[in-house]
Amino acid sequence: MQQAQRFLKLTAWGAIGLVTLVGMGAVVIRALNGLGVTNLNFIVPWGLWVAFYIYFIGLSAGSFLMSTMVYVFGFKKLESIGRLALFSALIFLIAGMNFVLIDLGRMERFWTVFVNRNLWSVLEIEIHFYVLYIVILTLELWLLMRRDLVVCGQGNDWKARICRILAFGSKDVSDESVARDRRIVRVLGIIGLPVAIGVHGGTGALFAVVKARPMWYGPLFPIIFIVSALASGSALLTFVLAFFAGKGMAKQERDELVLLLGKITAGFLAFDLLLLWSEFSVGIYGNIPEDLEVMRLILFGPFWWVFWFVQIIFGAFVPLLIIFLPATGKNPKWVGLAGFMVVVGIIGVRLNIVIPALSIPVLPGLDEAYTMLPAPTQAFTTYPPVILTWLNRFAILAALGTFGIFGLIALRRLRGQEAYRFQRGLVSIGTAVAVLAIALFVLRWVGGTAVTTLGLGISGLDLTQTPIGGILGQTELHSFYIPSPNEWLSSAGLIGMAIIMFAVGYMVLPLESKEGH
Amino acid sequence: MNDTKTASKPTSLSVQESRRRFLSKFVSPVFGGLMAPAVESMEQETIMTLAEEPTTKVAASPAKATPGISPISGESSVIDQMLADLQRALEKRERGEKVRFGMAVDLRKCTGCRACTVACKAENMTPPEVSYNVVLEEEIGTYPNVRRVFMYKPCFHCENPPCTPVCPVGATYKREEDGIVVIDYDVCIGCRYCLTACPYGSRFIDLGKTYTDPPQPYESSASPEYGENRIRVEGGSPVGNARKCHFCIHRVYRGMLPACAETCIGRAIHFGDLDDPESVVARLIAERPSIRLKEELGTEPNVYYLL
Repeated sequence: MQQAQRFLKLTAWGAIGLVTLVGMGAVVIRALNGLGVTNLNFIVPWGLWVAFYIYFIGLSAGSFLMSTMVYVFGFKKLESIGRLALFSALIFLIAGMNFVLIDLGRMERFWTVFVNRNLWSVLEIEIHFYVLYIVILTLELWLLMRRDLVVCGQGNDWKARICRILAFGSKDVSDESVARDRRIVRVLGIIGLPVAIGVHGGTGALFAVVKARPMWYGPLFPIIFIVSALASGSALLTFVLAFFAGKGMAKQERDELVLLLGKITAGFLAFDLLLLWSEFSVGIYGNIPEDLEVMRLILFGPFWWVFWFVQIIFGAFVPLLIIFLPATGKNPKWVGLAGFMVVVGIIGVRLNIVIPALSIPVLPGLDEAYTMLPAPTQAFTTYPPVILTWLNRFAILAALGTFGIFGLIALRRLRGQEAYRFQRGLVSIGTAVAVLAIALFVLRWVGGTAVTTLGLGISGLDLTQTPIGGILGQTELHSFYIPSPNEWLSSAGLIGMAIIMFAVGYMVLPLESKEGH
Repeated sequence: MNDTKTASKPTSLSVQESRRRFLSKFVSPVFGGLMAPAVESMEQETIMTLAEEPTTKVAASPAKATPGISPISGESSVIDQMLADLQRALEKRERGEKVRFGMAVDLRKCTGCRACTVACKAENMTPPEVSYNVVLEEEIGTYPNVRRVFMYKPCFHCENPPCTPVCPVGATYKREEDGIVVIDYDVCIGCRYCLTACPYGSRFIDLGKTYTDPPQPYESSASPEYGENRIRVEGGSPVGNARKCHFCIHRVYRGMLPACAETCIGRAIHFGDLDDPESVVARLIAERPSIRLKEELGTEPNVYYLL
């Protein structure tokens, strides 16, 4: 059993390492060849990398805000994950910055942002926030680990050597010194709170100030960013604590903490959904063409599944179900899984923030005015039917249907049998997903440009005239951007690097050793 | 365009002068327009040698070349009138006064031939996926009552450009003295924030692509943009930078019209100083009903569309 587990672990890390290695190769290719390796164009100048940039900044800011709950607001229950939260904030901030770096047209000039200044630019203001934030983060983390570093530096092995270096000559292990550290941390946390809000609210403001894009423009956007950052930050901590961290804690304590974090995540997620509803309902009711087109693209465009499946079902609906259902909500493993789903689902949120808003040209006909889009991008309007031929679609529907029916039968059989609680939870969620997926396919079918993606082979039926499509408009929806292989690989490389850095840091640094508070 | 030659080669003035009079008197604007790119390519070398000279010096001499042509009313002389306008604007600049370059685009005269797009490509040597101007098309009505509207669209050089304040390094800015929105290729980091911020899609990213592989001379030689003679294929700026229309600033300060305005076969594109009430653009805007795009955003574009 133990051997099998070790083998699994090795395989997993080997896979991550390999992907990271290949991905970093892609980053090198991108650095050498410039932005030509991407599928970005003048209509969609920001793509996958910017989406990941705001994703990781969100994870970072969310984690940091969770840590302020401990060190500023004195929320003692979360004490044991305070350092972990700070550390993940640091790692993911670096990951976010890496994505900005590879996204620059002239990478070698990244440092000039500190020389050539335009203080009226939100991006420049953000850069200041990032610098301030990284300083506060590092200081806080160091002060919190200081005594443990001194203690662990007393050995003679390689770990002790690293600890000694990181302790920066500090030798004081007295309780007074720890109390002093905590006072400084509190002050730093108080300063850090508005900075963290500035970091992610400001990242939202990058988009919110762009009046050229009605979907982005508006005061709600920075708030959405902060709330979704909090949701992703707390979800990340739930996931990490449930499956990896917390080895030094009592099982009881750890389980309770996971459930608590799950509840916090659910709260933020629900609030995030409310904001999403507000944004979409007002936008669709308002019926401003540029705004409505973007929303149609998100809801019914070629990438409709990113919204419905990744963002809503996988990233919000199922996690909420898991956390609130009595069968699963009391099991820390389930709640940890819910956390993981939210962390992944937020990627969909970020993608849908960046790309659809840009995919509607600012002037009608701009995309056709001059045929300058490269072949792969232009061919993209015919992309979904190739991926999802009607046979494919039929297979998916059949599989989902079978799964749903069998799930319902299995649920009936399992009813009342306490021993199979876990299985019952699994089946009920699977069934819910299958039923929802079928419902969504139907929704997609009636929703607008279904001809190209889910016509199910029925010809001669103009589905653009169907109920929802009719309400939301009837024009064909295009997307001008699909990430190139290099974009995917580079992203995988940078994400893998962040994961490895996180794991190494977790192994080496005293991120959760118990100390007297 | 011939005025430039007079700037650098004063000896050939008489020849140039007579040829131009010939053009303006006897040749239809359409023919003149077709001639322009050809003449222009012959001048390419002249322009490049000029690039090193300070602009004020260059601007001074063509002024003497034009007074002979008095504005004649009628279509055939519109180019001459615009050239005269430009001379006055350049004189104003020499006196240290501000000008406000802008355009008036006559939508009735645009035939959608896209000579402007091609002329711009040839002049500024823009790579694939970069085109400082485009011609938008729209069909209005249904058959038999149908009409196609063509709309030439350069950068509008807005009075309140939304693209410049977002630049984190201040690489793009609106020039105080003539209102042209420019990009400093040596400063731009290529973040593309300005591309998302422009409500008119007037900004582009240079992805380092070329039309030919290996690059043929027409795209591997130096581009005259901003008088900087940059060679793109070497991988340096402007590769990886944002790029945009700059009203052919390198031509304008040598007394020439922007390539698109000069080439336009229907004379739909008028260029000049909007602050000069006597200029063709100012008069057209005053006389004809005109619109500017997306006025509700408060950008105050300096390109007007005459209806």
